[in-house]
Amino acid sequence: MSLSPWLKSPFTDLTGAIVSHQWYDECADIELKALDCLEAYGLDRGIKKCDTLMKDFTECSLKIKQFKRMFALRFERQRQYLMGERSKEDHYAKAPEYDSY
Amino acid sequence: MATGAAEFKQEMPPPGGYKPIHYQRIPARQYFNGWTLFGGYVVMTAGAAYLYYLNCKVVQQEEIELRSASFAIYPMLLAEKDRAFLKQLRKNRDEETKLMANVEGWKTGTWYGEPIYNTMPKDKLLIPRAQEYYVHASFKDFTTRAYISLLS
Repeated sequence: MSLSPWLKSPFTDLTGAIVSHQWYDECADIELKALDCLEAYGLDRGIKKCDTLMKDFTECSLKIKQFKRMFALRFERQRQYLMGERSKEDHYAKAPEYDSY
Repeated sequence: MATGAAEFKQEMPPPGGYKPIHYQRIPARQYFNGWTLFGGYVVMTAGAAYLYYLNCKVVQQEEIELRSASFAIYPMLLAEKDRAFLKQLRKNRDEETKLMANVEGWKTGTWYGEPIYNTMPKDKLLIPRAQEYYVHASFKDFTTRAYISLLS
């Protein structure tokens, strides 16, 4: 896993994007923990030792598992409806109140 | 000497001659001059300012009262929203359990048994995305919420 760009020129630092979750985001703490761990152990040891923290940060940042869950739930619901296991009234649940989210 | 059947009549000016041609300018009729216009503006502004003065205090007091009422009920509305949110999260969880009852390997709140976060405590509240909040409702409901600005 490489963290620095392949080709560095004066433009790399000039136009580089500084993107971070530290702006009071939900992933701020876990990002800090993961990067502190990487900084403590260095890159080569760090990606083995800090694997849990990095995976959690990836999950928080990209919401991979949560979206996969969502797709699985949706798919299962449609599958049940098409196979006849769900009735037409039961197809979807009642909507949440629109101002509650 | 005219010997034709119809007698030809030469066109002649009217008796007394033509009237004189009017070539001077006819300027537009002026109702007000410049100073009158300025004066009228001042008088109109003064009158309007007086009428504004008669009402402005009452209007400001009404605005203050409306704002005070909004500030007063805002925490209550926020609390109601939070309560509705948490209740809906519970309903979502129950609905998920009901839905995936026959799917093997599925545990509610996880991805086939694998928890979503490994380093966080098991009872941490995960705020869902809007799509996940509406995952058990129809897509139309989600779009109603997503485009709620179109309703107001």
